Amino acid sequence: MRDKETRVKLLRWLIHSPTTYRVLRPIVDLQNIRENTAYRIWVRFLLDILRKAYAHKRPVIWMNSFLPIEIVYGVGAVPFLPEVMASLVGYMGWGEYPIAQADARISTDLCSFYRCAFGLALEGFLPRPNLIISSSHLCDGANKLFHYFSQICGCPHLMLDPPYSESPSTHQYMTDQLKDLVEKTCGLLRLPLDQDRISVVLNLSNQTRQYLVKINELRRAVPSPFPGSEGLSYLAGMNFYSIGSGWGLRFFRSLHDDIEKKVANKKGYLFEEKHRLLWLHHVRPYYKNEIFQILAERKAAVSFEESNYLYWPPLDPAQPWKSMVDKILSNIWAGPLERRMKAIEEMVENYSIDGVIHFSHWGCRQSCGGAAVIGDWLKERGVPYIVLPGDCMDPNNYSPGQTRTRLEAFIEMLE
Amino acid sequence: MGKEIYVGIDIGSLSSEALLLGEEEILAYSIMGTGANPQRTARQCLEEALAKAGLDEKAVSIVVATGYGRIRVPFKAREVTEITCHARGAHFLFPRTRTVIDIGGQDSKVITLDDKGRINDFVMNDKCAAGTGRFLEVMANALEVELSDMGSQSLQVRKGVSITSMCTVFAESEVISLIAEGHRVKEIIRGLHESISGRIFRMAKRLRVRKEITFSGGVAKNEGIADALKILFGMSINIPDEPQIVGALGAALYARDVALKDK
Repeated sequence: MRDKETRVKLLRWLIHSPTTYRVLRPIVDLQNIRENTAYRIWVRFLLDILRKAYAHKRPVIWMNSFLPIEIVYGVGAVPFLPEVMASLVGYMGWGEYPIAQADARISTDLCSFYRCAFGLALEGFLPRPNLIISSSHLCDGANKLFHYFSQICGCPHLMLDPPYSESPSTHQYMTDQLKDLVEKTCGLLRLPLDQDRISVVLNLSNQTRQYLVKINELRRAVPSPFPGSEGLSYLAGMNFYSIGSGWGLRFFRSLHDDIEKKVANKKGYLFEEKHRLLWLHHVRPYYKNEIFQILAERKAAVSFEESNYLYWPPLDPAQPWKSMVDKILSNIWAGPLERRMKAIEEMVENYSIDGVIHFSHWGCRQSCGGAAVIGDWLKERGVPYIVLPGDCMDPNNYSPGQTRTRLEAFIEMLE
Repeated sequence: MGKEIYVGIDIGSLSSEALLLGEEEILAYSIMGTGANPQRTARQCLEEALAKAGLDEKAVSIVVATGYGRIRVPFKAREVTEITCHARGAHFLFPRTRTVIDIGGQDSKVITLDDKGRINDFVMNDKCAAGTGRFLEVMANALEVELSDMGSQSLQVRKGVSITSMCTVFAESEVISLIAEGHRVKEIIRGLHESISGRIFRMAKRLRVRKEITFSGGVAKNEGIADALKILFGMSINIPDEPQIVGALGAALYARDVALKDK
């Protein structure tokens, strides 16, 4: 018992020391020498953002994933996304401990990304925030939990409350909210509201966006050049975390160049591709599981995933508030289901999809709530569809045998 | 050249079956508990079926494995899921089948199929084993009745006692409480059957259920559940003479397809 406590203390100390990330960088660089450049940029980016977050030379803002990250880059603070960090912890196979800690305090019905992040916060593993910002536009639970985080961490909490549907007054209502939030952020953190910095960030965002457009275009190729499992891991992570930063631009440019080469060489990520699948829900299980291996064994490629669907229009640096509001309000997972269905229809068409898997993450009402309607609608159009229930973070909710049977039967249906 | 024998082996969570198929007819089959060693059970099942048919293993053309333990059958040529195999087997036995209800040891499934026996769509229970064969075994034990007698007992009453829990552990406690409250065992059994059937019916509502319905898997031997399902679906339900072999039969039919394709 004492040994375990000592190990946890040591781990906490290591995580909080910025030197750890400096030391780790050449080590992981060496470890990832065979990986593609984009992957290596992702790892370096993470180490850099963690070093900055724990060094506390600049204010640290915690925020939930679907808020435009440009807000934080724009005010010159360090962004920290507890949900993305939780997925990373799950990916490393360390998710069970923080989830178990959280389960002693909050309902096990809550999304396990939040439970994991909550456990990490309770145990003092996360960098101390100077401010917490959250938005309800996908998940109302986020505002409540981030409020709880602010109590635990003893810092202010600001939130956005985007409306469900768009109307002529919506944009003004949201613009006022966003402007107010950014002004309060600058006031609380004593940061200047620098319009030039915001313009630079939005320009970077736009340049990155252009690469994302090209990547998504390239991914229409047959065979599928890029694995959906990676689209749901580091690519989705960079999509949430890096847009509006130099890291983001370098990452997406590099990934684009890599995929472009594969397409030119007609190189698919599977040895043989028989079926092309679309993955719905913006995440996947991050602990050790067989899902993508089962699909690969059956020659089924996850050709695209909706998490990388580009829903937001180019940003206008001359109108930063309006642009960021447009980004929030155009989110396909928030608001009316018809918008998400239209995007799915487009993805099915663009990526020559043979079947659709909707992963239903335990506790994620915003996504699972629409799964049946989407399923009926796709089936009416002759697109095979399956709901795959599971949990992205908690391996206790993963049932290997049933998952295999569901996936294999689905592929048998396509044959 | 001797007669071709096609073998389907279904390794389920509770029971395993091997079936020998000739060109069109079922030659023999065997059923046994899966136990802790599916590899050994698969071998024993095959040997028993061959012995029943008076055949040698050399006569076997090809083996297709199905069921949750399909990946562990060492001598299989192919593996196909039990969902596809139950659809195929049910369609072979009742060619007008368009919906299959399969309740096995730990899983329950509803499958819709086309006129060729191919799957259109399916639903499956979540990871909980509520309303499956294992659930009924635990309840039979709590009620101190034979599993095989549950069906006939429940048919003796017109309405069951309402059972609210579907979790096996909680339902067992509820059943014990109902006995203590003085409810008749047959009413409790009927209640359990209504509860299981209701769960299947709700699951089936996610699909477009069409006539005819065929009920397969070990639980189909329970006349009480078959009766409750018939009432809920409002139509008659086909029940094979031996509902436990439908998956193995589907696998054997696939074995035949593979063998003919390879010729």
